[in-house]
Amino acid sequence: MPPSSPQRRRTRVLIAKVGLDGHDVGARVVARGLLDAGMEVIYTGLRRTTEEVVRAAIEEDVDWIGVSILSGAHQVLLPKLRRLLDEAGADDIRIIAGGVIPQEDIPDLEAKGIAQVFLSGTSIAEIVAFINNEAQPRPEAEAKGAQ
Amino acid sequence: MNVIKRPDSFAPTSSGADVAAESARWIEQAFRSAAGHPERRRFVTDVGIAVEPLYTPADLDRIGFDYLRDLGFPGEYPFTRGDRPGMNRTDPFVVSAYSGFGDAEACNKRFRQVIEVGAEQILVALDLPTQCGYDSDHEMSTGEIGQVGVAIDSLADMELLFEGIPADSLKRIGTLGNSIGPIVLALYAMLGEKQGIAWDRYTVNLQNDPLKEYIARGTQILPPGPAAKLATDAVAWCAEHAPNWSPMTVCVNHINAGGAGSSMGTAIALANVRHYLELLLARGYTIDQVAPLLHMFPDERHDFFVSIANLRALRRIWARMMKETYGATVPEAMACKMTVYGHGQEALAEPLNNIPRTAFGTLAYVLGGASYIYLAGYDEAVSTPNENSARVALRTLQILAHEHGFSDTIDPLGGSYYVETLTSQVEKQILDGMAQIERIGGALPVIATGFGRRVMTEGAVRRQRAIDSGERPWVTVNKWPQKPNVPNTAFRGDATAAQRQLARLASVKAERDGKRVSAMLSEVDRACAEDRNVVPSVLEAVRAYATVGEIVDIWRRRFGTFMPSTDF
Repeated sequence: MPPSSPQRRRTRVLIAKVGLDGHDVGARVVARGLLDAGMEVIYTGLRRTTEEVVRAAIEEDVDWIGVSILSGAHQVLLPKLRRLLDEAGADDIRIIAGGVIPQEDIPDLEAKGIAQVFLSGTSIAEIVAFINNEAQPRPEAEAKGAQ
Repeated sequence: MNVIKRPDSFAPTSSGADVAAESARWIEQAFRSAAGHPERRRFVTDVGIAVEPLYTPADLDRIGFDYLRDLGFPGEYPFTRGDRPGMNRTDPFVVSAYSGFGDAEACNKRFRQVIEVGAEQILVALDLPTQCGYDSDHEMSTGEIGQVGVAIDSLADMELLFEGIPADSLKRIGTLGNSIGPIVLALYAMLGEKQGIAWDRYTVNLQNDPLKEYIARGTQILPPGPAAKLATDAVAWCAEHAPNWSPMTVCVNHINAGGAGSSMGTAIALANVRHYLELLLARGYTIDQVAPLLHMFPDERHDFFVSIANLRALRRIWARMMKETYGATVPEAMACKMTVYGHGQEALAEPLNNIPRTAFGTLAYVLGGASYIYLAGYDEAVSTPNENSARVALRTLQILAHEHGFSDTIDPLGGSYYVETLTSQVEKQILDGMAQIERIGGALPVIATGFGRRVMTEGAVRRQRAIDSGERPWVTVNKWPQKPNVPNTAFRGDATAAQRQLARLASVKAERDGKRVSAMLSEVDRACAEDRNVVPSVLEAVRAYATVGEIVDIWRRRFGTFMPSTDF
């Protein structure tokens, strides 16, 4: 799409694995599903630090970061990711998370700026619908300006 | 008086009666004809084999079933019916627990509880920093200490972990340690030394199967070539010093769970077996010496009968491969010993339903003839099993071992028209998969070419679609759907465990003889540089309280690290 296009650009999503958790099947299935739904998807690969994810998200100019986390480190890593994004001025990039996350942790994560937590058993269609409903895809120029 | 005639008083059918024609007639009449019953859905297994409404002797003819050639007897070639003669009648399968969380002190208490309930083997779940070769004080360990398993930084943690639990009081002790095989081997060897128990008096079991980590489990550290070499160092050391140990358990489990399906998963695992064996044979060990040290960890969690067929087919393929491809001559080298972990497509909603699911999944492994059996906690989709679910898992295993006659006779489904047909179909799928892998060059190209990840992602997407579309029924997910619920009873590690672990690591580092540690670490480096077996030097380093992270750092510097793929 040419930079001057007035059309809204396609939603860009960074699927991320943070920390040492090596289970990425769910992440890859979601990545495929979002791609099939017409989004642009980038995957970080395993074992990224929160700093690396923030850098990739800004460089790739994404709208969303989808974090997969099954290791129990969500309470530390998700809020840290949010904080680093905000500090880098990327407060417009929103975070969704999935994996093994106890119900009782969700309100706290949401209070700390995680847009939504999807548990195992969620269909791809539900995730796509959430992003499409929530997302206000930014026009290209505005998106660039936001950096 | 009218009596019902005894069965043997009926005349047999004439020998010319054609079962195949009769079966075809019946199926046509019952289901396929205009007057037939419409079937409620397609019946196809997760591995893609279509399930017929009925199996008859005609199916055995179709697969060319030959009892002595294809089955034989338990403990005899080709071992289809069992890896040893007595099976559960002489030694019931080993009731096993995979357990670990927090620091060694907290974890020791749980171990005592599971032993009290009846665990005969404990495989220690390690936390991710330990599995990935980082000490607890490393930056990458932030938030991960003691989360998915217990933190082990040095021998000091092992001493505490097994305090009051002598190494020989259980049938086997061990851990996964896939990417740190020689280190965990050394930790268990030194544990015996500390407890004053000789290596031949206890049995250590390791997973130590790094190759599947690159496509499935994700704890890889080094590039695959050196990782496989280090793993075989542990096997080679056992061949010489502890031949009663089982230092390598090659896994289908994670590859199947990740999407490959159990047949292709088995093919990939067997390609990994071949890679490890060939490294060992190239170093001068004989197949009869090393094959008995390798165990398999098969896995099928979607289809009960496929699971039984998979275990039977795997034993047959293993036996033929060891004898015909590698020239094994002793039965121990041809008999495939199996560790399994019972799952049953657990769901997040209404977790108690996972008790029957895992029980059924595990029953298939019992009927299939596995020797070492674990069973997932009903809350395992959510967290480390809590005390209650760990107890239920062990009790379920005990019920499977002792009630209902499940394990009274050996291979009770042997000869079943369905199970024999399925065993032969699954065997063919595995052999086809092995041939496909052979064509791309074996185990390392499975990783390097992306073949492994590709079959896994495709399979995972296919499974997700089958669930989303309802094609694969799943109670509380797509049938009678309920909201997923991660209950507040989910196990929580003690929040102070990480602090205790960091304090213990600091005191170990302060108290040990630093010069000796450095000297021993240099020796590990020399062994790597000279392409020697690293285990003797790692043993000395561990004895001197070198940490897991310090030893792995030497490997990282020597061999480099693996960059994970960003393909999906």
